[in-house]
Amino acid sequence: MAKITINGQLVKVKKGTTILSAARQLGIDIPTLCFLEEINEIGFCRICVVEVEGEQDLISACNTEITNGMVIQTDSDKVRQSREATLQLLASRHRFDCWRCPKDGMCEFYDLLKSHDVVFEEFGPGIGRSSDLIAGSGISQDQSKCVLCKRCVAVCQNVVTANVLKFRDDDDPMNPIVSPTPGLAFDDAGCIFCGQCVKACPTGTLFETDHTNDVLTFLRNKDDHVVVQLDTRVNGAIAESFGYDIDTPFEETFGKTVKALELLGFDTVTTLDYGEDYHARATAEELLKRLEDKDNLPLFTSSCPASTRFLELYEPERLDHIATVKSPHILQGSQLKHKLLKQKPANTKVVTLSSCTAKKYERTREELVTAGVADVDTALTVREITKLMKQKGIAYRNLEAATPDPAVTSEHVAVQGGVLVAVLNAAHQIKTGEPLAELTFKHVHGEKESDGFIEEATVQLGEAKLNVARVIGGAAFKELFARSNKKNYHLIEFLMCPGGCLNGGGMPIHKNLTTHEVIARRETSYCDGGTDLPLSNPLHNHLVDDNFADDPSIHTGYSQKEYRKE
Amino acid sequence: MTTKSQDVNALFEQWILDAETRLQEEDMFTKIKSYLESTHPEICGKCIPCRDGVPKLERLFDKYIQGEATLKDLKEIERIVYNLRASRCSVGLDIGKNMEVILENNYNVLYSPVKKY
Ligand code: SF4
Ligand code: SF4
Ligand code: SF4
Ligand code: FES
Repeated sequence: MAKITINGQLVKVKKGTTILSAARQLGIDIPTLCFLEEINEIGFCRICVVEVEGEQDLISACNTEITNGMVIQTDSDKVRQSREATLQLLASRHRFDCWRCPKDGMCEFYDLLKSHDVVFEEFGPGIGRSSDLIAGSGISQDQSKCVLCKRCVAVCQNVVTANVLKFRDDDDPMNPIVSPTPGLAFDDAGCIFCGQCVKACPTGTLFETDHTNDVLTFLRNKDDHVVVQLDTRVNGAIAESFGYDIDTPFEETFGKTVKALELLGFDTVTTLDYGEDYHARATAEELLKRLEDKDNLPLFTSSCPASTRFLELYEPERLDHIATVKSPHILQGSQLKHKLLKQKPANTKVVTLSSCTAKKYERTREELVTAGVADVDTALTVREITKLMKQKGIAYRNLEAATPDPAVTSEHVAVQGGVLVAVLNAAHQIKTGEPLAELTFKHVHGEKESDGFIEEATVQLGEAKLNVARVIGGAAFKELFARSNKKNYHLIEFLMCPGGCLNGGGMPIHKNLTTHEVIARRETSYCDGGTDLPLSNPLHNHLVDDNFADDPSIHTGYSQKEYRKE
Repeated sequence: MTTKSQDVNALFEQWILDAETRLQEEDMFTKIKSYLESTHPEICGKCIPCRDGVPKLERLFDKYIQGEATLKDLKEIERIVYNLRASRCSVGLDIGKNMEVILENNYNVLYSPVKKY
């Protein structure tokens, strides 16, 4: 324990605590910009500076540990003036268009400017930090808004392990930039489009590539029949954006979301439950076949496009392990166009609405075409759809509940879900005639979301005993591969985003809640009752049952993809 | 500062003298500016007070050189110089300390040419 004084209050804090966390424990907030707890503690921005008695210089609170007897001032004149001067310097090299900025009200830089007295004159945007977009199919970057905090770099490197973004100060340290390989689009620089950097960016520099105009074009075209397929897990996040508490029960808002989508002009509103069950059932069949043939085990699930792209880029020797079943929303898109709806496939436009920025990239894959027609036409994130709803003046809170189109939508049942559970349950029932009695996972790796989690289970499937694992968060992929050298797995689910899809790259940003809390509360909202729920069973889905056919249109393939990093 | 900046230190010593010897005004401003420019190779570009503060100071001394400096610019110079005390490493901190000495010793020189209205 150490005794310190912060703004006149004498307190005891644990040794090794930073000034920032000591102050926060006391309820004193020190503003930060480049700081991301345990991910980016590098002291770049100098916004968090404080005055320490006996020191001539100002000290950054985010990465300085307290020492016994320290006397700290967090808001003296000197400190405030310094923060103002620093913000002023930053602002004078920033391109402001807040009203049309993709950060849309969630900008930490804007908040800092608002809470300080900052007057500035431009002295030229930094050389190299141009407002030309760095393009990408899932995410894009506008460097003219970059504050060089390096948060995205730390996340891409340590949480995602794709190492796409770099702080580039070799050519001209006075004008560094943060970017993928200079001159290349994200698609060619090894990006997997998880969108975690977008969530980490305090400004509107990194953002999901905007596809709202595609959707508006489809909606305007009278010949198009436009379908939106909603991942029900994001319903809560849409409600959040209209002021509902993050843990508002699903049933309270789901009908409003459907209504709002109808009002936007979609001809058919449906969920992704059909595609998910279809995908799980087809994957179960594939698993059983591979077990029988002892072929390419473990089987990797194919539902997370950021993960499959990661494997294509960085683990090409493992591609034979990925299930050939198309991912749920792609599979459902193809089914909607060719089986479920009466319209001509070419005139049916399918829009996926989910938490995921990687689906934007995924739907551009040449492989995902059925009879010459793309399976899915565009993919929106929660942030994009709520923007459209707000533009259209939809008063979400006042809406009557509507229901998705029953002809093409599976009944939504509260279950213990996840691809792995559904695949195993289906495989068990196909093999033995009975669903799984129970399934418990053991947490074997990772302390917090950003480390990545690994959960394992063993399942008796007839004679065979299967080892299965779920990896949540790119940082744990390496660890899983290391484990798979020692242990024979049969089935592995990969999710790229730390904490899973509820923390996807396209989800709304919460400035005042930790990732852990956001995920936990979104979970409560989505499936209150948690572990008492029955296991998800795709064989109980009648709509899938009526349409299930293991034909080539539900399969795809993977191949090594090129990239250049510098 | 490190050995790399020997010349800088030499320059700097001269300025402290300048406080008594009173250099010609224009000379002094261009010298300060070239001192600031000479620090670029050492600036790592990581923190804002130094990376963006130093070029901003250069723009402000440009105004002096062009005879367009105002009292506001002088105050601005002070602010940004003092903010170098928030820098992340000794490069920025030292530039700040050197500049503080320059301000202290030559304030009258800096004050006299400003447009006060
Ligand atoms: S990044 Fe922030 S400050 Fe900059 S334009 Fe966007 S909202 Fe405004
Ligand atoms: S989307 Fe993911 S992989 Fe691409 S740059 Fe961002 S963090 Fe890295
Ligand atoms: S892109 Fe965003 S997160 Fe990355 S350095 Fe720039 S401002 Fe920071
Ligand atoms: S938050 Fe501490 S230096 Fe950026």
